[in-house]
Amino acid sequence: MQCFFKLRNYTVTYQQITALLLSSCHYISMTSREKEFAQLIKDNQGLIIKVSRLYTNSLEDEEDLFQEIVLQLWRSYDSFKGNSKISTWMYRVALNTAITLFRKKSKSLLTNELDINHRDFVEDDDEKQQQISLLYTVIKTLPNVERAIVMMYLDDLPYKDIAENLGITEVNARVKMNRLKKTLKEQMQKYA
Amino acid sequence: MPDFDLDSFKKTWQEQPVQPKYDSSEILQMLNRKSRNYVKYIFWISVAEFLFFSVLGLFYFFQGEESDSFRKILEKLGAQKAPEIETNFDHAYLAIKILSLLITAYFVLKFYQNYRKIKIEENLKDLIIRIMKFKKTVNAFILISIALLVAFTFVFTAFIFYVLNSQNVRPDNSNLIIVIIGIIVSTVLCVLLIWLYYRLVYGIIIRKLDKNLKQLKDIESQEN
Repeated sequence: MQCFFKLRNYTVTYQQITALLLSSCHYISMTSREKEFAQLIKDNQGLIIKVSRLYTNSLEDEEDLFQEIVLQLWRSYDSFKGNSKISTWMYRVALNTAITLFRKKSKSLLTNELDINHRDFVEDDDEKQQQISLLYTVIKTLPNVERAIVMMYLDDLPYKDIAENLGITEVNARVKMNRLKKTLKEQMQKYA
Repeated sequence: MPDFDLDSFKKTWQEQPVQPKYDSSEILQMLNRKSRNYVKYIFWISVAEFLFFSVLGLFYFFQGEESDSFRKILEKLGAQKAPEIETNFDHAYLAIKILSLLITAYFVLKFYQNYRKIKIEENLKDLIIRIMKFKKTVNAFILISIALLVAFTFVFTAFIFYVLNSQNVRPDNSNLIIVIIGIIVSTVLCVLLIWLYYRLVYGIIIRKLDKNLKQLKDIESQEN
């Protein structure tokens, strides 16, 4: 019996070592380009997480959207190199994927159901967290394109970049943002 | 929150604690996962459609069944054999088949070119327009396929009436009605089925794209 357990223990350890070796081989076989990309995503994942959270209503969809954005970033990685700023490229790909490409698995929730079963209101023990949760809830009541404008505005992107990312004029972006501020104020009062 | 001001939230938003969820190896693993997106979905469905129509075209290309059914219908309506007209019909039918294959080849090329032009790093408006243009290639192909189907039915019917007229055959009324109704019903049914298929398969995607494009156009119209 002792021997069996030992043997079993040994087998498990052996499997673990094999898995470790395999993953190490896999990592070594990765090209430096892939590693460089992975590092870039790791360092800037906050932006992708925010977009994923803003355009989905369940954790499952959020993770799927994150992966889809990473895949699309990878596919357009060559065109980015040297052509534009990291933030511009990431914003465009992330928002384009969320708005036009992504196929959700779960059904969309109605506006008033938003976030009730999502983590936005969970573990919000301090005031700042509550404010952020409320902000997400309110922004999610807006149509897709308007959500993108508000997000870029909150991230302090200049109107020129906001307009260029969406394919509209700077004046249009400015006018729309001013109107959105009023809409958000009304929504905020409603939800708060 | 009576004095809500979005600008005062900027700092809070930017400093929100976004916990890094994935490490480098997890990100690398994501690169090997399958993509689930609408463009890919349209691409593969369109490839299946092109294959379907091309295989169907090729199948009929190497089959002489249509001229057989043409002869059978003429016999049913009481016409005598007319080898010359049947040869003319065969020629017209062959011309339609070759035209159909050439059109398919042209659209396959256009479809692929438009697919390659879709670049995710473009601005949102251009991206939506490109996806819609890509989809329009397939739509145009389907519309032309329907037009060819109708043209073929028209040629088929015209030849039947031409033979009957040249031989001074006055077919039994009931037979003639059955043939005409058969031709009309089968053509209408084909067109309806194709139309319904497109509404179902592409309806949701195109509606979603249209909605986003409309939002952008609304923003543009608010300048003044």
